[in-house]
Amino acid sequence: MATSNPLSHVVQHAIKTTELGGQPFTVMSDQISMILLAGFLLVLVLPRSLKRKQAEGLEALVPSGFGNGIEAICTYFRDEIAKPNLGEYTDRFIKYIWTVFFFILTLNLLGLVPISAITSILPHSWNVPHLGGTATANIWTTATMAVLTLFMMIFNGLRLAPRDFIAHLCPGPLWLAPLLVPLEIVGFAAKTFALSVRLFANMLAGHILLAVLVGFVLSAGAGSTGLGFAIAVPVVAGAVAITFLELLVAFVQAFIFTFLTVMFIAQSIIFHHVDDAHGEAHA
Amino acid sequence: MVGKTALKALLTLVVIGLLCVPATPAAATSSTQEQLVEAEGGSESNLFAGDLGNAVWTLVIFLLAVVLLGKFAWGPLLSTLQERESFIRDSLAQARDDREAAQARLAEYTSKLDEARAEATAIVEEGRRDAEAVHGKIEQEAREEGERMIERAKREIEVAKKTAIRELYEHSATLATEVAARLLKREVSAADHERLIAEAIEQLDQQDLN
Repeated sequence: MATSNPLSHVVQHAIKTTELGGQPFTVMSDQISMILLAGFLLVLVLPRSLKRKQAEGLEALVPSGFGNGIEAICTYFRDEIAKPNLGEYTDRFIKYIWTVFFFILTLNLLGLVPISAITSILPHSWNVPHLGGTATANIWTTATMAVLTLFMMIFNGLRLAPRDFIAHLCPGPLWLAPLLVPLEIVGFAAKTFALSVRLFANMLAGHILLAVLVGFVLSAGAGSTGLGFAIAVPVVAGAVAITFLELLVAFVQAFIFTFLTVMFIAQSIIFHHVDDAHGEAHA
Repeated sequence: MVGKTALKALLTLVVIGLLCVPATPAAATSSTQEQLVEAEGGSESNLFAGDLGNAVWTLVIFLLAVVLLGKFAWGPLLSTLQERESFIRDSLAQARDDREAAQARLAEYTSKLDEARAEATAIVEEGRRDAEAVHGKIEQEAREEGERMIERAKREIEVAKKTAIRELYEHSATLATEVAARLLKREVSAADHERLIAEAIEQLDQQDLN
């Protein structure tokens, strides 16, 4: 199906839609099922793997097994990313930060599992819907996450350092305020926009590339079966290589999103009252 | 195991859920089917396919994940990390204190050792001085003793010499008297005899004194 259009493999396929206030509202789709699956996996796997088997004395402080890997990632985020930026507020936000990373990472990685390709082999009479897909290749999903970051910035800025936060909407002299305040507000929007598009585009692009590569085989096979097989060899090799790259991208993009979220939150709540630092922060 | 059972149950639920999903479009009315086809057709080339439904699902599931993971995964992890941090900090502080104590003790022992060495040197020095004093005293005494002995010996020799000379004079005087008496053929009286000897000794003494 849809051999002609590689995009059909990467975009959302609605399973059930309805209307809400005149607007279309997707109740269930292949990508939403992946978000659900990711949520289940996270809640099932992480607490179990982080539990200490023999929690007595010093033994309770020593990580082991799969949880060791999770803990290494968490420790890295806490010590290397959060603490240098958030300082004393680290442990207040670290749970949110860890969740952002593992949520996006799980969605990215689940997107690499070719569930839709497997289910499409099943007989049509089973009427299996288009399942699988990359939830983070949906701008609505990434934008939701980015808006959450924006919310964290503004809410915590107003909660933890209200005076500084509002004062920094006009970082220059007061007479420049009519120019600077709208600029700062546009800055918030730009950060959010960039955050959502970066993740969305990165996850989408790799999958489109893979779909295009595999599409070569099908279009060549449409002419002659032999040509199709001949094309398949380099294409599959290339697709494997791209998939490894995608694996890397899945981690890197989850990391970047989390890293920038930390940065943005830190910029909203930590204000250095030294002129140099002030200049640097807004350079 | 409870965990394994829960895992199995949840996986079963997921599978059942996925199996139930196809039933929805299959059982759907023709209008929904049309809608679906339309939606699929519409999204075929639309990279930005999606609507508020995606946002709501994302928000709900993510926030649930934040709450559940925060309670069951991150909470214990964070407390473990904090415990470990405080443990390391305490251990380091303990180690620093121990090292400082050890250094203080080392300094104390070093100074004590120095004191002891100085004391030992002083004792040896004193001993040597005492020994030298004793040595000098003994030598001095021995020398004085020797001199005294020599002095006494000289005096004794002097006395013995005088005695011997007197005896010799007495004997010579006796002999001379006897010889003179024999020459004079007469007996010198005992009183004369003694007077002559006394005179002779007196002369001798005078000679000696001169």
